[in-house]
Amino acid sequence: MDRVVAWFCRLVFVFLYVPIVAVVVYSFNASEVSYRFTGLTTHWYSDLFHDDRLLATLRTSIVVGVLAALVATAIGFLTAFSLARFQVKGRAFFLGAILIPLIVPEIVIGVSLLEVFSSIGMQTGILTLVLGHIVITLPLATLVQMGAMAALDPSLSEAATDLGATGWITFRRVLFPLLRPSVLAAFLLSFTTSFSNIVISTFTSGVGSTTLPLRIYSSLRTGLTPELNALGTLLVLFTLVVIFLVGVRQMRRILA
Amino acid sequence: MTQTSAVRLRGITKSFGSNLVVEPLDLEIGRNEFFSILGPSGCGKTTLMRMITGFETPTAGSVELDGKTVDRVPTRQRDLNMLFQSYALFPHLSVYENVAFELRVRKTAKAELDRRVREALALVRLEDFPQRKPSELSGGQRQRVALARAVVGRPAVVLLDEPLGALDQKLRKEMQFELKRMQREVGITFIYVTHDQEEALTMSDRIAVMSKGRVLQVAGPTEIYDAPNSRFVASFIGSCNLIDAVMSSADTVEVAGLGPVPATVTGGFATGTQVVVAVRPERMTLTDRPTEGSFAGVISERVFLGDEWTYHVKTGGTELTVRVPSGETSAALATLPEGGQVWVSWPTAAGRVLPADDTTSPSLIGSPA
Repeated sequence: MDRVVAWFCRLVFVFLYVPIVAVVVYSFNASEVSYRFTGLTTHWYSDLFHDDRLLATLRTSIVVGVLAALVATAIGFLTAFSLARFQVKGRAFFLGAILIPLIVPEIVIGVSLLEVFSSIGMQTGILTLVLGHIVITLPLATLVQMGAMAALDPSLSEAATDLGATGWITFRRVLFPLLRPSVLAAFLLSFTTSFSNIVISTFTSGVGSTTLPLRIYSSLRTGLTPELNALGTLLVLFTLVVIFLVGVRQMRRILA
Repeated sequence: MTQTSAVRLRGITKSFGSNLVVEPLDLEIGRNEFFSILGPSGCGKTTLMRMITGFETPTAGSVELDGKTVDRVPTRQRDLNMLFQSYALFPHLSVYENVAFELRVRKTAKAELDRRVREALALVRLEDFPQRKPSELSGGQRQRVALARAVVGRPAVVLLDEPLGALDQKLRKEMQFELKRMQREVGITFIYVTHDQEEALTMSDRIAVMSKGRVLQVAGPTEIYDAPNSRFVASFIGSCNLIDAVMSSADTVEVAGLGPVPATVTGGFATGTQVVVAVRPERMTLTDRPTEGSFAGVISERVFLGDEWTYHVKTGGTELTVRVPSGETSAALATLPEGGQVWVSWPTAAGRVLPADDTTSPSLIGSPA
């Protein structure tokens, strides 16, 4: 029985990681047709670095992702902080209102955003992209940070007050240091959500503000190029580096 | 009074909505006193303590610290510190930084800060690992850090909210003596909130017994134990036989089925008043033959507790609990089976006549012993 379970677990891991491994392997495939492996090359990487249009969409995605994640994390922090610490009237209403975008189908949000933007005469572009992405990342950022704040012992801030700390010092020396990991988590989650979003971007992007996922999606029609495998490999590498850095920090904290 | 008291409460009361949590009360706590507030959970003791710290605002009444009214002084400026039940140590800071927190906030000079932190750690015997995080400490050690943090700024008063609750039995006993030692060493007023009567009796100079938002009695441990002023105090502290009785004259009490019983009457009860006679089980004597003034009864149950036997004896219509130290059980008594005939007696001084109903007990004003 144990062996069956063990094999099943291995199978699950294979299922999860085969696509990622495939992207990495094919990014070095000399053949232009992906299913035929004809030899090793770094040709696609140099292609990628010379494809200005593709790199421009990457830059757009990063800018939009960072801006949306910053705003969502900040608003989410304040929301979670006040809901957790103060006796807010209509607390359930606020919470519900913030979380609803999680449940409403993205396509509906996309259509409504476009309608609102066009009715107030707002040109679609980076700004509308950022606004659209804030709508979908804010609930995530709030939820992640609320969990951390609820787990914080309320007597910690009382203890700080009791020891002579003002509200600001309590926040800076006690509360924020304890909440920092959740702030970082909220930012990363918001960024990746924004970075990989297609539906909202479809409605809120304008001429010259195409995001990377939109570009990749549209290239389905003309056929995927091995260049995209190279890009995918680099993104996987980047993610691994981020995870590694966060992991090292956490390990240091545990070992310290 | 020439010397001002450390803490003085005047007509302080607290209600949450229509729920009266602490009834108006006056209380004075002396300098360097180890003062306990003892009561079951939900009796209002924690709320009372939080009003002294300033975490709760009293509905009415005022708080004085060292002779000065502090009703408008925020917690952080009150010359007192609290030891939280959960310890509330800052998990991201080392032992040293936890203890140094208050001194850093108050911008104490570096050399002075270091000296005082080391002094506080020495007081709680934790000099060995100032760089550890709270998560790397045992429960007892965490508590010591919390205590060092509370006394490092030399406050006039330290309030302790059931600080031993999270420790195991053996450690609790050790810490009781430690706390008392430290309090004497640093010369700070300790206000100790607990539901554990043993803790209160062991450590306190005086105890305030609270029930349902009211302070019933304020007195030293021996007086609380030997001369409880109400039914609740008698039964909450230690165990106590509470025998329903009636005043048959100004100074005699009669129990239905037993007749007049030995008791000291102090309250000035009118003849015919319903009262209870409180007698501690260890003050009663059990014999296998009648003695002068004893009451005949039948053993309904007996339990061996190692250092003593606990007998449940039925006399008249009343069930009495009698404690006999193991060494003093006579051979004749020891062989008596359950259902055997025995005689119970107690000296007049051991019986205290108390009001049958606690709501009629006088309101109390405590003053430093």
